[in-house]
Amino acid sequence: MSLQRPIDSLFTRRAMIAAGVGGGLFAGLIGRLYQLQILEHERYDVLADENGVKLELAPPKRGQILDRFGRPLAAHRQAGRVSIIQEQAGNVAERLRDVARLIDLPQARQERILEKVRREARFRKVTVLDELTYEDFAKMSLRAPDLPGIVVEMGSTRSYPRGRDFAHVLGYVARASQTDLDRLSEGSTPDERAAIRRLFKHPDMRTGRSGVERFAEEWLRGQAGFRKLETNAAGRIIREFDAPELAPKPGQDLHLTVDAELQRKAIERFGDESGAAVVMDIESGDILAFVSTPAFDPNDFVNGISQADYDLLRFNDRSPLYHKAYDGTYPPGSTYKMVVATAALEAGVIDPEERIYCPGHYRFGRNTWHCWKRGGHGPVNMHEAIKQSCDVYFYEVSRRLGIERLAEVGKKFGFGQRWELGLTGGRSGVVPNDAWKREARGEPWFEGETLNIGIGQGQMSTSPLQLALMTARIAAEGRVITPKIIGNGPRPEADIPMDAALDPEHMQRMKAAMFGVTSEGGGTALRSGDLGLGGPRLAGKTGTAQVRRISAAERASGNIRGGDEIDRKLRDHALFVAYAPHDDPKYAISVIVEHGEGGSRTAAPIARDIMAEAMRLNSRARPVYTQVASTGGGITGGSLE
Amino acid sequence: MALAGSAGRLDFTRRTMIGQVTGLPWALILLLVLMGVIGLATLYSATYTNPEEVGLPAKQAVRLAAAFVILIAAGLVPLRWWLLLAWPAYAATLIMLIGVELFGFVRGGAQRWLQIGPIGVQPSEFMKVTATLALAAYYHKRLNDYSGGFLIHIPALLIIAVPAAYIFRQPDFGTTLALFASGGVLIFLAGLWWRVITTFLVAAIVSVPLIYSFVLQDYQRERVDTYVAQLTGESVNVMDDGYQIHNAKIAIGSGGLTGKGYMEGTQAQLDYIPEQHTDFILTVIAEENGFLATSGLLILWMIILGLGLMIAMRAKSLFGQFAAAGAAATVAFYILFNVAMVLGLVPVVGVPLPLLSYGGTVMLTTAACFGVICAVHLGKDEALAA
Repeated sequence: MSLQRPIDSLFTRRAMIAAGVGGGLFAGLIGRLYQLQILEHERYDVLADENGVKLELAPPKRGQILDRFGRPLAAHRQAGRVSIIQEQAGNVAERLRDVARLIDLPQARQERILEKVRREARFRKVTVLDELTYEDFAKMSLRAPDLPGIVVEMGSTRSYPRGRDFAHVLGYVARASQTDLDRLSEGSTPDERAAIRRLFKHPDMRTGRSGVERFAEEWLRGQAGFRKLETNAAGRIIREFDAPELAPKPGQDLHLTVDAELQRKAIERFGDESGAAVVMDIESGDILAFVSTPAFDPNDFVNGISQADYDLLRFNDRSPLYHKAYDGTYPPGSTYKMVVATAALEAGVIDPEERIYCPGHYRFGRNTWHCWKRGGHGPVNMHEAIKQSCDVYFYEVSRRLGIERLAEVGKKFGFGQRWELGLTGGRSGVVPNDAWKREARGEPWFEGETLNIGIGQGQMSTSPLQLALMTARIAAEGRVITPKIIGNGPRPEADIPMDAALDPEHMQRMKAAMFGVTSEGGGTALRSGDLGLGGPRLAGKTGTAQVRRISAAERASGNIRGGDEIDRKLRDHALFVAYAPHDDPKYAISVIVEHGEGGSRTAAPIARDIMAEAMRLNSRARPVYTQVASTGGGITGGSLE
Repeated sequence: MALAGSAGRLDFTRRTMIGQVTGLPWALILLLVLMGVIGLATLYSATYTNPEEVGLPAKQAVRLAAAFVILIAAGLVPLRWWLLLAWPAYAATLIMLIGVELFGFVRGGAQRWLQIGPIGVQPSEFMKVTATLALAAYYHKRLNDYSGGFLIHIPALLIIAVPAAYIFRQPDFGTTLALFASGGVLIFLAGLWWRVITTFLVAAIVSVPLIYSFVLQDYQRERVDTYVAQLTGESVNVMDDGYQIHNAKIAIGSGGLTGKGYMEGTQAQLDYIPEQHTDFILTVIAEENGFLATSGLLILWMIILGLGLMIAMRAKSLFGQFAAAGAAATVAFYILFNVAMVLGLVPVVGVPLPLLSYGGTVMLTTAACFGVICAVHLGKDEALAA
């Protein structure tokens, strides 16, 4: 072919130009490659390293709370959790719908999560669903690799294996609210404040809202650390680097002095009654049982309780939210007669053998005071007056004493002050005198009121804890005893150090009288003296607290109601205080049965049975934490179970 | 169509089957095989850590083998048959394109796929080949008696613009652009006056903001935005395309001069780059093998395309010249768009890298393009009648 068309040379020329332009473009690409790979290499190398390594905030494991024998009262529970990271999820709404196809995730909840995601930083994890069932967790773990931005992991949350038993003692933990954060970061620098805020945003983090959980927050919390992770673009963890220097420091375990088994038995013994009981080791002051029943289940609070459920607790007339043994104050009734008698002996206003005639009533001024026994007790001395709980004897004795001397001895026994145990709450009650009344009511003390205080009624108010302490001090013949419930943990600072010793001789008299109550003819609690252990008996004192209109618990709940409940509401509270064994006291107890009417009828049998249980269980046996401490090692949560 | 003036002594041996096979441009084919093997090795490295992707290299190997069979088969088809087929093939592809609009299904957010029997096909990809052949056939007829008028390029533009309009509506911006680019190259080779070219370039520059505001869809506009953001060094949003480009640059940049070693790329292995085994396969090569190997790979492509262009220039028939040049241009624009996109120079338009990216359609297009080039090589001495 020799024909040369003009187009042929043109084509060749143009093709060379095209090749030149194309070659130039390729050269440009190689230039760009040179820029990225050679000139900017170092910068991208750093970025590449950062891309894969991530430090993830690792919350510390909260310390456990154990009983004196190492049984867990507050522990950890592993629970599956699904979260979403906006940055990796792309379309969050779509991703949530994907999740909803696998597990139950109602539309309303999806919208709530969307709202939360919108407010949260793009790279942060937002919890989609907590507390997955095993099946849901398995299903989600299997499918999560297909769902970018969806993270399925095991979270650790607080669990209270003994449910309601220690609700008021332990309190509960909850997600930190703004109020909690403000409280926790009080007095911190802005940096610390930010760190606290960040830490408590972690879905595993909880903070103590009440009880020991709140008091011992710092002890239990531990220190946050980091996990060093290699992640891929979807945020999926490829491997975890070993970084012990970054690991979180777990919180310390905390031992209470209580015996969880005794507590359980005591609550069971109350049955449907509402009330409180405190069992104390006389020797050490250890609280072995601290019962307030009915109670709430702290497990319900860990992930937030619904308003409806909370209202059920709040408006329950038996006040399950209220710690009756520590926050509840009741008139001590006749259980206070040992205090009045002791005051009389200390002041020397009466010889214990002096007999006072009880006709069933007592006149003072223009008024008449009644003895609980209409026909009267006849002539009674101190021993008989306590044994039979004669009111007239104590009207006379308290009149002779006057309110100031009576109040002074009441304080010696530990009334009228708040005992710091390391729990939230706790009330001091009232030991009234002239000064108190002028302050509280703005008027002077009337002598007639003293008679009411003489039988533990009127303005007098005491907590079950104080009554148990009083009993322990009588049983210990006046020795100073400081009640405590934290066996091993942060040491609570006592509000007022108690150093007022009581005369052992007077105490022996009280003991004899209390033994009379349960074990001699005419005693008001004769039927409850036998512990059923074939020997050791109980020594105690009955009491009945007058209910004016509103019980202390009801007043505290802030929900005062009338109607068909009013009948029960008007009934008196039944009280009983006791120690055992009568000849070698080890345990002291106080029991109050709200609206239980007669101390001997309802409170005494309960106290007797709890006491018998304590002795059977040997609740005051040496706690594990002192054993471990003596070997010099750290305290760990050993368990007997 | 008659065979004219191709009598020669060599012609006889050329027409035997063995003669035909040995006459193929084996240097070119072997370079393509080399490229395919590099692609397989890279794909293996890019996918072996992901259990869901383990089967992909084997699948790709089968495709690659099939592609070479198609390439050689297409190469052995006499050039005059290609000329005969050019218009019917173009018409068929156009009908399929319209079919996509009527019956197509959506994959990856755009309507590009047509189900024919068991396989889903993308007519827009075929169009790259058939439009090139149609253009070549058109210029073959019109330029044989060179008159050099401006108006003869108007029908050529229509040959491109009609299918491009359909493809743009699917929407597939990348293919539309590729079609105009390779078609534009052919119009340029056909001798479009420089003053027209200059006018066009000026108009193009002016129309850019207009297209941006009135033609592009939101998702396309976002892509352009992220592109501009990363060019001007503004902080990119680390999501979607900005994220993709950002991580692609990290992977490439961290490769350095010699790379981190085969199968050692941390970014690639940790799935930091979406679509790293398809459109972003170059990031794996760049990260693991470094600048020297990556630029070597681009030079290898330049050699391959250069060989294709030389075949075009040696062809006697205008159809051969234009078909081979158009085929080379089609492949060249794949590469240019893809590499520029991966290097963050142009917005992400979703163009694969021939013989390296995982995927069947581009493999088929590439095989067809080089099949045409081979056919032109074998038929270079045939002067086909207009």
